[in-house]
Amino acid sequence: MKLFQRLAGEFRRNRLLTASLAFIALVTLAGFLAPLISPYSPGGFEEQRLLEVPSAAHWLGTDELGRDVLTRILYGARVSIAVGLGTALIALLIGTFYGLVSGYAGGALDSFLMRVVDIFYGLPDLLIFVLLSLFLGRNITGVLIALGLITWVRFARITRGQVLQAKELIYVEGARAIGASHVRILLRHILPNIFAPLLVTLTFSIPAAILSESTLSFIGLGINDPYNAWGTSWGTLAQDGWRAMRTYPHLIFFPALAIFLTILAFNFLGNGLRDILDPKRN
Amino acid sequence: MNLTLVFLFRKGRLRPVFALLILLIFSGCNPFSRGGDDKVFRVNLSTEPPSLDWSLATDHASFNVIANLMVGLADFDKSLKPVPIVAKSWNVLERGRRIVFHLRDDLTWSDGKKVTAEDFEYSWKRLLDPKTASQYAYILFDIVNAEEFNQGKLADADQVGVKATDERTLEVRLKHPAPYFLSIATFEVTYPQRRDVIEKHGTKWTDPENIVTNGPFLLASWKHENEIQLKANPNFFLGKPAIETVEMYMITEKTTSLALYEQGKLDFLDNYSIPTLEKPRLSKGPGFRRVPQLRGEYYGFAVDRKPFDDVRVRKAFAMAIDRSVFPRILHGGEQPATSWIPPGMLAHNPKIGLTYNPPEARRLLREAGYPEGKGFPRVTVSYNTLEHHKLVAEAIQGMWQRNLGVVVQLENQDWKVYLKKLETDPPPVFRSGWGADYPDPDNFMKLFTSLSGNNHGRWKSPRYDELLEEAAREMSEKKRIRLYDEAQKILCETEVAIMPLFVVVESTVLNPRFTGLEYNSMSRMVLRHVRPKKVSSEK
Repeated sequence: MKLFQRLAGEFRRNRLLTASLAFIALVTLAGFLAPLISPYSPGGFEEQRLLEVPSAAHWLGTDELGRDVLTRILYGARVSIAVGLGTALIALLIGTFYGLVSGYAGGALDSFLMRVVDIFYGLPDLLIFVLLSLFLGRNITGVLIALGLITWVRFARITRGQVLQAKELIYVEGARAIGASHVRILLRHILPNIFAPLLVTLTFSIPAAILSESTLSFIGLGINDPYNAWGTSWGTLAQDGWRAMRTYPHLIFFPALAIFLTILAFNFLGNGLRDILDPKRN
Repeated sequence: MNLTLVFLFRKGRLRPVFALLILLIFSGCNPFSRGGDDKVFRVNLSTEPPSLDWSLATDHASFNVIANLMVGLADFDKSLKPVPIVAKSWNVLERGRRIVFHLRDDLTWSDGKKVTAEDFEYSWKRLLDPKTASQYAYILFDIVNAEEFNQGKLADADQVGVKATDERTLEVRLKHPAPYFLSIATFEVTYPQRRDVIEKHGTKWTDPENIVTNGPFLLASWKHENEIQLKANPNFFLGKPAIETVEMYMITEKTTSLALYEQGKLDFLDNYSIPTLEKPRLSKGPGFRRVPQLRGEYYGFAVDRKPFDDVRVRKAFAMAIDRSVFPRILHGGEQPATSWIPPGMLAHNPKIGLTYNPPEARRLLREAGYPEGKGFPRVTVSYNTLEHHKLVAEAIQGMWQRNLGVVVQLENQDWKVYLKKLETDPPPVFRSGWGADYPDPDNFMKLFTSLSGNNHGRWKSPRYDELLEEAAREMSEKKRIRLYDEAQKILCETEVAIMPLFVVVESTVLNPRFTGLEYNSMSRMVLRHVRPKKVSSEK
């Protein structure tokens, strides 16, 4: 609880941090409330208003099939935020568990588990993603699982490193001496003490995942289904707009801006958190 | 995530990446130093030609190279009528069952040997030979015993009805009169070939150091996945072309090729190299031309399965599409079409087909048991992954949702996977198209006969087959038009096996420094007459 009180205090002092968090909250809310906010549909075809420049009716203009760009971006926020959070959480769960086991067990098991991580690190992300998308399909679940499977290794390494340090500390030795079980030591004594670096990693993993999804969409492997509640991801929007960059710059500019600002906000948040949680800072 | 990709994606970094890309594409061939050269003409093929063997080629990239390397018996005039070129004349005998081609005697191959009738006999029999496995063998099936030979029912090639009776006379015997046969003689797959060259080099005979050709240009070099260079043939019998060198690049990304054109590093672009949404801007500039194609786009139905086994459903879907939107979203001057035979071809008839009529479409769908689209099963519309196919699919999806209350799913695959899927397990609704191999309705209409390998919807109509058989043998144009009218009515109006959407128009830009490029309605880029524009001071 003390940690959260300290965080709350820091947020009050640091405007950039507050602004970033507010922006992220705004984007998330707007994405999930998009049907209430926008009078337009993210799909469909409106032949009366093709490729309009930004106006009072269409703040960010319309695209090549007459769809409102702002509406598409709002719906796209769902994908981006969901992919960002989802991937980071999946990776956190897998990676933390893996790292805890590896670091705590030590010895041959640790070596083996870490070599597996090395192998995952060595594989090109894109290749893994293409292979996985063959099995899982191009939908949000597929993207989540695939990105999660790529990202977890980072959590595994960090957790293991932290566990290696923590398990030598006096309080862990103390717990062991009074006969606490391994599970109890891991969950009650070690995990809470390595929470801060994991939180920071988590915050940085979210924008990385958003960017990854955008990149994948940009090369044509991402989420695109304007009729699904999940909409079309920002990366796909940017990819569509990229071809018309010269004549209709608004088609790439706004989706790219959305990606840029969101990632910037997450990165500010991550930086801020790291500074606050760094024990050596004060 | 992969760092290079992240790097690529960040918007501000795009420009240097492109510059690098462009540099990479051109490194090793360095055309920049000759940027202003009037003797060099640079085009984009957009992709590596799969084969320069004209018995095996099937795609636009291959044919666009071959069409500039070779000439055949006949060529087209402006009205798409076949006119002699290697042949100096021909006689149609026995009421169209026997055609005798008389060859010119001043035509030589690039190695100096005469072009003879035997070169044609050899090439045609090679096309038909089952060992060659040519996808275009069927094009000659009107010849006596050709089909039997190709199917392996007849081993003796001598019994196939094509024979060089002497060095300059080629005799062709047909199973039945075929009014379009002379048009077939314009098609690249019927161009002559040299037995000695092919037998000596095997599959490597199309390599620049081996190939022997007879056309306006010679194949000088072929850097795979990169560039093909052609050189003017000094001995071409119609005169050496004005440009010395043609450089054909294989740049897949349209945005890149357009950028190169605008930097003066390419001299000509067609639909394969112009991004859809850049067409309106380019059309206002110099050198832009639109060339209507003998190429139709359609959506087909899998008629052997629910829900499209019901003709009312097919009609409803066809009538719920406002085809006038296609030129507005594709920006290429596409011509909306409800019938299948394109303008410029015999028997084109725009009155045939189902026009946009949402109330009637809804009525038909209600009659079929799906009032306002309720209870309509989940169906998938498939197309091959290309930017303009996606636009069309999303527009159609929107119109069906609005007019019928039916939401269809969209799905896309790369061309090869897609084609396989069409052949083995056709999706309920699928995008397809056809470009003419030769300008006769026979070529267009035969796609949908019961036995056609291109009839992906598995639609069968004995009456349709009968009409096509009859039209193929009929020598009178008037009677043929009547027969094709009836067949088209069955195809697009009463049975609705397919719904035609529009006729493709090619958008092209030519560097204003040049003139004389002919882009024909079968997507062939004819470079023979390209020449630098005369500057007035030179007069």
